[in-house]
Amino acid sequence: MRINISLILGIILVLIIIAVWVLSFVYLPYPPNEMNIPNKFLKPGIESEHILGTDNFGRDILSRIIYGSRNVLLVAISSVTLGALLGIFLGALAAMERFADTIIMRIMDGLMAFPGILLAMMLVTVMERGIKGSIAAISIFMVPVFSRLVYSMILETEALLYIKAAKSYGSSRRQIFIRHYIPAMLPRLITQFTSAIGSAVMIETSLSFLGLGIQPPYASWGLMLSESRQFFLGYPYLAVAPGIAIIITVLGFNLIGDGLNDILINRGNSDE
Amino acid sequence: MKKIIAILLIAMLISACTAQENTPEKADVKTELTMGYTTEPEGLDPHRTAAASTFTVTNNIFDTLVGVTPQWEIVPRLAKEWVISDDGMEITFSLRDDVYFHNGRQMTAKDVEYSFNRLKDAESPRARDYENIVKIEVLNDYEIKFITAALDVELLKSFVYPWAAVVPEEEVANLKTEPVGTGAFTLEEWVPQQHLILKRNENYYGDEIKLETVKMVLIPDATGMMAGFQVGDLDIIPLTGDQVTMIEGNENYKIISEPMNAVQIMSLNTKNEYLSNEKVRQAMAMAINKDEVIEASMFGYGAKIGSHLPPTSPDYYDTNNIIEYNPEKAKELLKEAGYENGFEIDMSLPKNYQLHVDAGQVIADQLGRIGIKVNIQLVEWGTWLSEVYGAKNFDTTVVGHTGRLDSYAFLSRYKSDSNDYISLTTGEVDVLLEEALKELDENKRKEIYKDIQVILANKLPAIYLQTPHTMLALQKNVEGMKIFPIDFYDYKDVYLTE
Amino acid sequence: MFNYVLDRLKSSIVVLFVVSIITFFVLMIIPGNPAQLILGADATPEAIQELHAAMGLDRPLYQQYFSWLLDLLKLDMGKSYVYGESVTVLIAKSIPVTFSISIFAMIMAAFIAFLFGMISAIKKDSIADYFSRSIMQLGAAIPSFWIGMVFIVYFGVRLKIFPVSGFVPLEENFFRFIKSITLPSLVLAIGEVGTLLRIIRSSMLDSLKQDYMDMARVKGLSSFKIYIKYALRGALTAPLTIIGMQFAKLAGGTVVVETIFALPGLGRLVLTAVEHRDIVLLQGLVMFVTSTVIIITLIVDISVMFFNPRVKSFQQGEL
Repeated sequence: MRINISLILGIILVLIIIAVWVLSFVYLPYPPNEMNIPNKFLKPGIESEHILGTDNFGRDILSRIIYGSRNVLLVAISSVTLGALLGIFLGALAAMERFADTIIMRIMDGLMAFPGILLAMMLVTVMERGIKGSIAAISIFMVPVFSRLVYSMILETEALLYIKAAKSYGSSRRQIFIRHYIPAMLPRLITQFTSAIGSAVMIETSLSFLGLGIQPPYASWGLMLSESRQFFLGYPYLAVAPGIAIIITVLGFNLIGDGLNDILINRGNSDE
Repeated sequence: MKKIIAILLIAMLISACTAQENTPEKADVKTELTMGYTTEPEGLDPHRTAAASTFTVTNNIFDTLVGVTPQWEIVPRLAKEWVISDDGMEITFSLRDDVYFHNGRQMTAKDVEYSFNRLKDAESPRARDYENIVKIEVLNDYEIKFITAALDVELLKSFVYPWAAVVPEEEVANLKTEPVGTGAFTLEEWVPQQHLILKRNENYYGDEIKLETVKMVLIPDATGMMAGFQVGDLDIIPLTGDQVTMIEGNENYKIISEPMNAVQIMSLNTKNEYLSNEKVRQAMAMAINKDEVIEASMFGYGAKIGSHLPPTSPDYYDTNNIIEYNPEKAKELLKEAGYENGFEIDMSLPKNYQLHVDAGQVIADQLGRIGIKVNIQLVEWGTWLSEVYGAKNFDTTVVGHTGRLDSYAFLSRYKSDSNDYISLTTGEVDVLLEEALKELDENKRKEIYKDIQVILANKLPAIYLQTPHTMLALQKNVEGMKIFPIDFYDYKDVYLTE
Repeated sequence: MFNYVLDRLKSSIVVLFVVSIITFFVLMIIPGNPAQLILGADATPEAIQELHAAMGLDRPLYQQYFSWLLDLLKLDMGKSYVYGESVTVLIAKSIPVTFSISIFAMIMAAFIAFLFGMISAIKKDSIADYFSRSIMQLGAAIPSFWIGMVFIVYFGVRLKIFPVSGFVPLEENFFRFIKSITLPSLVLAIGEVGTLLRIIRSSMLDSLKQDYMDMARVKGLSSFKIYIKYALRGALTAPLTIIGMQFAKLAGGTVVVETIFALPGLGRLVLTAVEHRDIVLLQGLVMFVTSTVIIITLIVDISVMFFNPRVKSFQQGEL
């Protein structure tokens, strides 16, 4: 029962976010970047024209939240996908080719030694800041995680009997890889993938906070949160909406990851 | 084991929460001032840095030959009096004979000579400003003469700036971290990223200093700063426009606010294919609603300008009516220029200056409405300096130019051969600038500067936005804090009551 | 066992090398000329050139790398552009701050996680279990500066229990030191508790099933004793590893918290270095932080091995 709740809750939350994302293509109360200075700092209210209020440039917060889902999901999903693909490739290479093994894994260790934010800061400073920079920085951060996962999974699986059997049949390595390894690795990869998306959203938020993420005037929740910082004492409501949006997203993906993790572990582990 | 640790922790936490704060007895008047600031100084050597954050501090540790009042009057400091030759090419200072460096040694004209040579050497960021001084003659222990190559009617003013400080030769090796000057305060302690403590110089030559110590605390976060002020930890803080409402009306606080001696402008790279067209620049200027820019970036605490001098300058001439705000007309002008469908350009904004970042965003939005798509790029100050200012690699940018006492210093970059990041390449102000430098008659000079300002307002090598206000919030018992036309703080005359 | 230690040492050194190369070369690509930055906007191109050469920035990259590396081994990380102070000294001054909040945060997180983790494991599937787990999950999802600002406003300004910012060194006054680090550490801890709790819970669950547990029960020992003395000990391995790893991560990841609470720690120093293009400072900082991470991971791995030889295979196979 326990697992199901995590998973279900997580899926619900993520569905909410996806719904918002879809909404961004269908209906926006106001253009998200349209400034209206005389109307700045309107407080939120059900009756008002701006349900969630306006920010310091008079932009409608609700529209920015809806629109912001695009940027956030774009950055999170693409960076994790890129990182995962590269990581899987490198991890597999390291596990299957002797010569690549040490080099690749040492580099991965090196990369992992950098605390996330530090690495992202360094990389974003070097590359162009903004969406591209964030995606690049976060994906590089994800590579070692996936590569090490794949590496150890492949080594584990290699020892399994049926692989040895397949090898003795003379199936090509490519065939073995595709028909046996991948299905075995998929569950854990998916779990890792979903958790990683949660992390990616968090990192993007921190990057925006430090001014290194998505640039103004684009609507990104992390950026909105960061911009609300200066006005926190005077206009605290500015921080509420983006904060909640971020929490829902991160929590959702983390819960899914958690739930999947539990299912996996419990399959091998008679815990129930 | 775990339980024991847990109990200990809880005990500690509880006692920490209830521990009495060691509040000093408020029997006598407080003599320690605590001020919040947001940017760390880049070393404390006045000859080796260009950062304003440094001078706000060093102005109290070092002295210059002359000083300036908030009313722009030049007053004696290390120099008692001065004489300018008839042809204006020589200036002789008579120095005080009661000045001692913090290390005990007495200051003489030789120190002044040494300091200015150091100010002019290759490692000094301000060397170029003092190239005109070609000879320094020490006449005797307390008299020194400076000789220039070309006539500069504003020569005296170059001796006011905080980088023209007098330093003792024997201490220069460590000046950056252990500054030794003649000023009203000595550096007692500098903990990087945390605070700076200044201590009263008991051998100061000037009037009695009431404060014993000044602690400057680094708080990079506006919320933290305001929170510190509201709980009474900080006596003075810099205030941003939106915070004004939290302070005004509260009888426990005071606000002082002065227009800065600065201009915020949107610089244009006239080499850009679109921006080289004067009509395009005028169209852009017409599409910008400066009131909204000021409202958004300074919450209204700024004054519109039409040209490159601030209203605080004695030579200021109001050019605000030359370009009107009219987006419709702007679109027409664009069409005339051949860009009916608009175009795309970049805007670099220095990310550590919220004021410019905000203004830039509003401008981008306004330009968007007449069809010009602006791509904003926030860059670090370091990148801005090397890319925009140094390599002139930009289309547009929004930035501030500050702190000069003479109009020539503000306007000299518009000479067509100035090689500055912006200039009026078509040369209309060249002759005028030459004349202004040589014109000894103040009124005639004013006329010349008026003409220059009008030309700039029409030709628009940059679009002139506003002069923002400096605002400080003070606890009600703080007196004597003033705002100067140069970007620094001066604690000599500050004191606390009650 | 000794071989294992030697192995780990060797690979740690290799990793350190890799890190140094990454650090050095990545930072050299950053646009922006340090000499220009120091001299500022009005300097002449000749002056900039001179300073550039004087700073040794003219030499071929690999030369600069090796001389940097050699200096590093002598613990000389150069002089910061911004502060003029030796980088080593700057780092030394910032360490107490960052380490204080990291350690305090880990203590708080460990305490809370152990408490709730054990309860969750023992009372598996009960309301208490769900409750703990959901709260902890929430903690990991909240952006740290959000919580930080809320704390400042609530505990600092309104209730005036804790100082709103600033760091009071341990030597100065113990209570005020604790007060100045409580809020920031709490914020950090909230972020870490979730992961820790999950690990502790599953470790405890594993350990609870072990044979010696049944033995203990058969012997008739009280539940309390069983849980604390036996289950917990066995469950310590994984959490300890994670604590070590988290601590290492924390040491570098405190930027946000330090910025909000105006704490002069390593994280803020990094931010300053990045913003001012203080390459020397940044290189020194990054090397220091990553070396610390590597060393801590090494120590944790080896000490875990001491505690529990059965773990050896676990270590070598898994993450």
